[in-house]
Amino acid sequence: MLLCQSSELGRSDEFLVPLTLVGLVTLLVLASEIGGVSLALQLATGIAFPWWAPAVAFAVWLLLWKGTFGVIEYGVSLLGLVTIAFVVAAVRLRPEITELGRGLLPSLPQHEPAHYWYIAVSILGASITPYLFYFYSSGAVEDGWNEGHLRLNRVVATLGTSFGGGLAAAVLVVAALVLAPRGIAIESCEQVALILTTSLGRAGFWLFVASLGIACFGAALEVTLAVAYMVAQGLGWNWGENVKPRHAARFCATYTVVVALAMLIVITGVDPLKLTLLAMALTAATLPVAVVPFLFLMNDPFYVREHRNGWIGNGVVLAIILLASVLAVVSIPLEIMGGS
Amino acid sequence: MIHLVRDVLDSQLLARRGLKMGKVDGIVLELREGAAPRVAAIETGLVPLSRRLGPGLARRVERLIVDRGLPVNPDLRIPWAQVRREGIEIRVGIDAETSPAYVCERWLRDRVIGRIPGA
Repeated sequence: MLLCQSSELGRSDEFLVPLTLVGLVTLLVLASEIGGVSLALQLATGIAFPWWAPAVAFAVWLLLWKGTFGVIEYGVSLLGLVTIAFVVAAVRLRPEITELGRGLLPSLPQHEPAHYWYIAVSILGASITPYLFYFYSSGAVEDGWNEGHLRLNRVVATLGTSFGGGLAAAVLVVAALVLAPRGIAIESCEQVALILTTSLGRAGFWLFVASLGIACFGAALEVTLAVAYMVAQGLGWNWGENVKPRHAARFCATYTVVVALAMLIVITGVDPLKLTLLAMALTAATLPVAVVPFLFLMNDPFYVREHRNGWIGNGVVLAIILLASVLAVVSIPLEIMGGS
Repeated sequence: MIHLVRDVLDSQLLARRGLKMGKVDGIVLELREGAAPRVAAIETGLVPLSRRLGPGLARRVERLIVDRGLPVNPDLRIPWAQVRREGIEIRVGIDAETSPAYVCERWLRDRVIGRIPGA
């Protein structure tokens, strides 16, 4: 009997490339998040952040091991409300409405253009992180969503994104009003910690520490799960936060290894602030490989039937990810070479 | 009608009781003299998966798994007669627990994950 195998029918490594690239970048993102929590603990205690990394990583792992999806989802979102402190601070700083409006329009940088674009790209990368796709869509499966949840999904996505965007804008406003007039360019995290004290006093310091710690801890949980979801679903293993670890051994082993690897990166003492910027910029650079497969799915009638993307949706997504990735590919080397 | 590459290759494999048993990593066609080719089986495992990146790589992966006795499924062939398509998934009448496709899952569960308190 002559046999012909599918390798001869066509190569298909279009899954392995995104898996590897997105996996590596997401690992850096996770290291930044664990670094962020460790940094918050350093600010609170004075003990250097690399010492905190193992405890933080263990806490992340323990919650994933013991917790259910609901605990992680609701716990993180509730505690994360502490970041509203930034909105309060932004309002109390009384920004001029006309200035705010002008800030909404993109403008060209007056100095250090390479660094400016690098940070802009990082912010883009932080806003459209692929790990959120994996986390959110897997969460829909964990929570047992069906077609009837589509309307709820629209509401959650719109409100959630607007809320997050509003918070991010508040952080930028506070930074612009506190740092720029004093000519401060952030070099270290101790400087950032004082960003809320101008408007909120001593409590501002602790609110900043809590915001940093909780937001990063929540993100660390989500990123770790996202990597495990991506690997397990990609390779067809049993997965889920709501099943006992012994019924999804490879899934649990994956998040255990991922947390450990990210912890090792933080232990080396690499500056979490720089690592975050780099991880986010790399996220932006890899957006096409991470997001284009989603676009195919969202247009595949076999998967989504009549709920396919319209051409406006496809166009907007394509335009944004192409813009972000081109900017990233240009600005990352310039930043690393220290050009301006 | 079924498109082998679009609808079968890389699809989720479901064993009995809905256990996830990997992906369809390869499709085996039987070439017959004077007749149209016939689908003989589907394959799942690291060897057919790596064969798609190159036959040399597949041989090295196979040797590595066999020589070192690694707890990884090298290659499991499932006759086409046992294959059923259900929506976007492929269901096979196999018991995952005792199948070679579960070698890694079993090994990790029994040797590592299952020994950690709370598993």
